[in-house]
Amino acid sequence: MASVSLDSVSLRYPSGAMGLADIDLQVGDGEFVALLGPSGSGKTTLLRTVAGFLAPTAGVVRIGPDVVADGKTVVPPESRGLGMVFQQHAVWPHWNVGRNVEYPLRRAGVPRAERSARVAEVLDLVGLDGYARRDPATLSGGQRQRVALARAIVGEPRVLLLDEALSALDEPLRDRLRIELQALTRRMGLTVLHVTHDRDEALALADRVVVLDAGRIQQVATPAELVERPATALVARFVSDATRVLGSRDASGFAADGHPLRLPASGLQGAGEHGACEIAILPGDVEIAPTPAESASADTATVVSSLFGRDGNDVLLDWAGMTVRCHSRTQRPAVGAHVDVAVRRAVAYAAAR
Amino acid sequence: MQRALAGAAVRGRAREGARPVRASRLRIDGVSLTRALLWVACLALVLVPLGTILVLAAGGNHVATLLQGDVVEAAVNSLVSATLSAAGAVVVGAGLAVLLDRTDLPGRRVLRLFALSPLLVPPFVGAIAWIGIAGPTSPVNFWWRDLFGAPLGTIYGGHGVVFLLVVHSYPIAMLVVSAALRRVPADLEHAARIGGASAVRALGTVTVPLLRPALVSSFTLIAVSNLADFGIPSIIGLPERYVTLSTLVYRYIQSGTVDRPLEVVATIGAVLLVIALVALVLDLLASRRRWELDSSASTPQRLPLGRSRPLVAVLAWAFVLTLTLLPLLALLSQSLLPAPGVPLAIENLTLDNVVRAVTAKGTATGATTSVLLAVLAGLVCGVLGLGIGTLVTRTRARDNGLLRAVAILPQAVPGLVIAVAWLVLAPRIGLFNTPWLILCAYITSFVALVVQAVAAPLAATPLTVEEAARASGASRFRALLDVSFRMAVPAALSGTVLVALTAVRELTLSVLLLSPGAQTLGVTIFNLQQAGAYNAASALSLLITLIGLAGLGLAARSSR
Repeated sequence: MASVSLDSVSLRYPSGAMGLADIDLQVGDGEFVALLGPSGSGKTTLLRTVAGFLAPTAGVVRIGPDVVADGKTVVPPESRGLGMVFQQHAVWPHWNVGRNVEYPLRRAGVPRAERSARVAEVLDLVGLDGYARRDPATLSGGQRQRVALARAIVGEPRVLLLDEALSALDEPLRDRLRIELQALTRRMGLTVLHVTHDRDEALALADRVVVLDAGRIQQVATPAELVERPATALVARFVSDATRVLGSRDASGFAADGHPLRLPASGLQGAGEHGACEIAILPGDVEIAPTPAESASADTATVVSSLFGRDGNDVLLDWAGMTVRCHSRTQRPAVGAHVDVAVRRAVAYAAAR
Repeated sequence: MQRALAGAAVRGRAREGARPVRASRLRIDGVSLTRALLWVACLALVLVPLGTILVLAAGGNHVATLLQGDVVEAAVNSLVSATLSAAGAVVVGAGLAVLLDRTDLPGRRVLRLFALSPLLVPPFVGAIAWIGIAGPTSPVNFWWRDLFGAPLGTIYGGHGVVFLLVVHSYPIAMLVVSAALRRVPADLEHAARIGGASAVRALGTVTVPLLRPALVSSFTLIAVSNLADFGIPSIIGLPERYVTLSTLVYRYIQSGTVDRPLEVVATIGAVLLVIALVALVLDLLASRRRWELDSSASTPQRLPLGRSRPLVAVLAWAFVLTLTLLPLLALLSQSLLPAPGVPLAIENLTLDNVVRAVTAKGTATGATTSVLLAVLAGLVCGVLGLGIGTLVTRTRARDNGLLRAVAILPQAVPGLVIAVAWLVLAPRIGLFNTPWLILCAYITSFVALVVQAVAAPLAATPLTVEEAARASGASRFRALLDVSFRMAVPAALSGTVLVALTAVRELTLSVLLLSPGAQTLGVTIFNLQQAGAYNAASALSLLITLIGLAGLGLAARSSR
């Protein structure tokens, strides 16, 4: 296993568009790191740069002690000692399962007897014991993805790259493979870079999560930190569906621009400078209480949607022209109902320019 | 670069250390080399011949010759017959496609096979067969003459040429439109039904308009290929002095009626080439305005024909069988009768024609030459097509589009132009009067078949399949060999068989590039027909048609 490090890596496409901007990232030996971001955020670009399918225009990429790309020279993917799993499994249809899994060992020049032993071992590991002679066309989607995983780990890669590896599977199966993937990679002590757009998946699997937007790293943090202390209002909204509100802050607290929302200083966390600022309100910090229609005022909110959830209901409110998300464990108001809103706390950030 | 890798060291297996490669974007490896070789092949086989024809035409000023009466007349005949036949083919082909794919016509599967069968019969064989049905000595005309004293009319002449061109090209339109029909998501029609449209209205207002690009491109494809067919106009047109460009070129080459026939012929070829290229560009422009269609899982609803179902069924079956089965039966009866005009009766049947056709001096030579050339053409096209089809779909390179366009360009160029191009080139490359000239022309014409057979299925597979090989430690070239080529081989094989079967029955190229002692099967039949041995020609036509059908049937079965 090996660490991965990126030092001020940038990637500019020939069209001029920035794929990656000034990325600094250290992934420790044996660490499981998830790359999370909306589509177009650069997470797949980052992964493919580590894999060697894309060459950075500036900066240094290291795998273990080796420099694999430094803006001038690029080590091709086949010489980087990696394993990779793709969204659409990419199992070769013209070979049986065993031949697919064996391929990295063939390329590495491993003798035949050892190859078949290793293939049997790794197929057993992914729960496909005895499938070596099967034609991939006869396998289910989940089984094919296991074949792809077996092929990626059979050569004992220095780093395992997962490119939306679970995204093409349907929900119950994805959940099961998530569990297996974590168990397997932890047991083998693999260094893993996992690209996903699924927030729960990133939080569930990773030791640390990297949030990207527009080719830049927004935050690198453990899942717990990311949920509790998002570094920017943007991260808060992307990771936790927080509501972003612009306003100003003084000694008494926060006042929203053009909106009745006021927060006392005690309910504010984060940057303390007075003046223009932005706050992010997490859905769990919004409290609602039903109010009769006749006592409705300009200050009451209307329910736009109200979705049931296992551990609380997701309610979307129109609060005096502002759309607010609320996660309520107790209330599930009807759509169109009037509710009173209280914000328990918010995180303040210096206003984005 | 040595690197201690804990896991690998323990297991006694070390992966090769990372070696930085300088200037990765310009490195020369097996892939670049393969690409360069394929470019050279395309240059030699496509661009040089077509370029030569343009240069020769531009060099000698033969515009005056072009404006002579018979060239102009031939050109008008060619253009009119190509346009009319393409329009007819699109109407027939699209009608049958909608009928067979979108209605509950009884027996549509079998009928579909029948409807496609003219594709497998060489056009000149079709012409010979239709003479048996509607020629001056056909049973129909005999019967009519007995009743009214004059024949009903013959197939000879311009109308017969157009009719036969339609018969032999509507299956292409049907295939193109059928494929397009299947790409139109059924959901679109369902949405129209929910919105209040009847089944017929939904088909007519939603699906059929979405077929317009397919109709336009099949029209162009057919018009260009019919522009220079040789077999049909020479067998059906010439007896009524209906001359087209291809038969005119043949006459110029065979009988030196003009000065410097090669230059004149090259000028005619250049004009045809320009027309073909213009058509190609127009088609490309039209195809830009194509709609993006989502794929759909739901199956389209078939239009119930209701009370008219029996009537439509009878009409459709009668129409298709008349166009497909009747000529084969006519061919059979001509093969078994001693001479044209002899009544069809048990005591008149004879196998003499078959024996004579098979044992004739030319037949054995023709068969040997054709089989040899067809197999070689199949193999060369198979290898080139595998390489080009795979490279342009499975690698990222700026010249992919161009390479593919050059390789499939000859498909949009009339066979006549390709033949003339090689004829012009022959003395300069020392292939004059050798059968290898025909081989070259076959390869130029047919490599597109394999390229498309290979590229179409591969284009749907995501490129991650190769990337998985790269991540597993394979170099670019290794991934190409181990993954891309291996996936493409089945398609390339069936493409090879298709090329060989097409080449073995080819006439236009072979007759124009004829050299002493190297006549092909098509030319043998054509010569028998020209010499008046109609029944022997029919017998040989029937034989190679049946062998061809059997071969294609086997190929289709094995590729499944």
